[in-house]
Amino acid sequence: MKPIEKYVEAMENKDFAGLAELFSKDGSLSDYCTNSSAQKEYHIYGKEAINMFFRNKFGFRQYSIMEAEVVNDTQAEFIANFGGYNIMAIATVREVNEEGQIKKLTVRPK
Amino acid sequence: MGVYAISGASSGIGAKAKELLEQRGHKVVNIDLKDGDICVNLASEEGRKEAVEKLHEMCPDGLDGLICNAGVSGACGNLPLIISLNYFGTIALAKGAHDLLEKKHGSCLVTASNTISQGAGRVDIADLLNNIGDEGRVLKLVEQMDSSNLSVGNSLYVSTKYALARWVRRVSAAWAANGVRINAIAPGNVNTAMTATMSTSAKMALNALPIPTKYGQECLMDPDEIAEAMIFLVSDAAKGVNGNVMFVDGGTDALLNSEKVY
Repeated sequence: MKPIEKYVEAMENKDFAGLAELFSKDGSLSDYCTNSSAQKEYHIYGKEAINMFFRNKFGFRQYSIMEAEVVNDTQAEFIANFGGYNIMAIATVREVNEEGQIKKLTVRPK
Repeated sequence: MGVYAISGASSGIGAKAKELLEQRGHKVVNIDLKDGDICVNLASEEGRKEAVEKLHEMCPDGLDGLICNAGVSGACGNLPLIISLNYFGTIALAKGAHDLLEKKHGSCLVTASNTISQGAGRVDIADLLNNIGDEGRVLKLVEQMDSSNLSVGNSLYVSTKYALARWVRRVSAAWAANGVRINAIAPGNVNTAMTATMSTSAKMALNALPIPTKYGQECLMDPDEIAEAMIFLVSDAAKGVNGNVMFVDGGTDALLNSEKVY
């Protein structure tokens, strides 16, 4: 499976630990969709932070995705739900390291 | 040797702050429901009045510091108590001891919570507390709520702590102009009697609030981690710090709200 496919799988399963393991030690995830939901953007640096952050978001049902579709080698589209606010989003794996771990992933409104 | 007063110093964070201050040679007056030097119920008007009167009797030359720490969690099952103790009890004590703090150019510290930044509070309740301040009316409103619903209790708890932090910010300039600094501390989840007696569902919610400095340990913060910061904020070492809400939560707030730089 490609990193973007693994990302979608982890998000759909609310698997925060599995999600974090997709990232390199210094990997980052930036989500710009939140601006549309009156929340501030998410910029999460480091795999441990990604683990903790999504444990919180999934635990409190503040982040989920549905209707996901991988559209190419690095991108997937889905409906992102931020605590009840839905927005069409596109996730892009922008950089991976030699081990295939994600170094940078962004999620933007589509 | 300094003279300090702490509310809620019979257990938890307050007890640890008392212990550390006493270890450093200071006199500490504990204001608490049980086992205090002043035993009063700060949730009641009579208790607040008695606390202030006794504090004046015991500390006639003034206070170097006052730590308003007494409070209950959102899981206590008593919604009026959350309002009366956490918000009105705290503010009454701080205001009542203001002249004692003025005498020694002391410092006041209010215990808020790092949950204030996580969006679980009710802005309407916080606004009623800060902007109207009518305890009776707020209690009437709260009595209509479902006290068996944990999320209701939690939202009221967060509302009181948010309102406290905002009150601190609002009064800080005038207080400082009169020689009294005032700050708030926003602790993360700490091992205390309050957290030890929580229900399983409440504990699960706690564990979903990660503490970066405790990563992988599945544990809460220790009371001394908060108490040390409290002592710093009421000490002269923090003489330039006023109107500040200091998060002492191992980095939870930074993790969940990294873009809230200010």
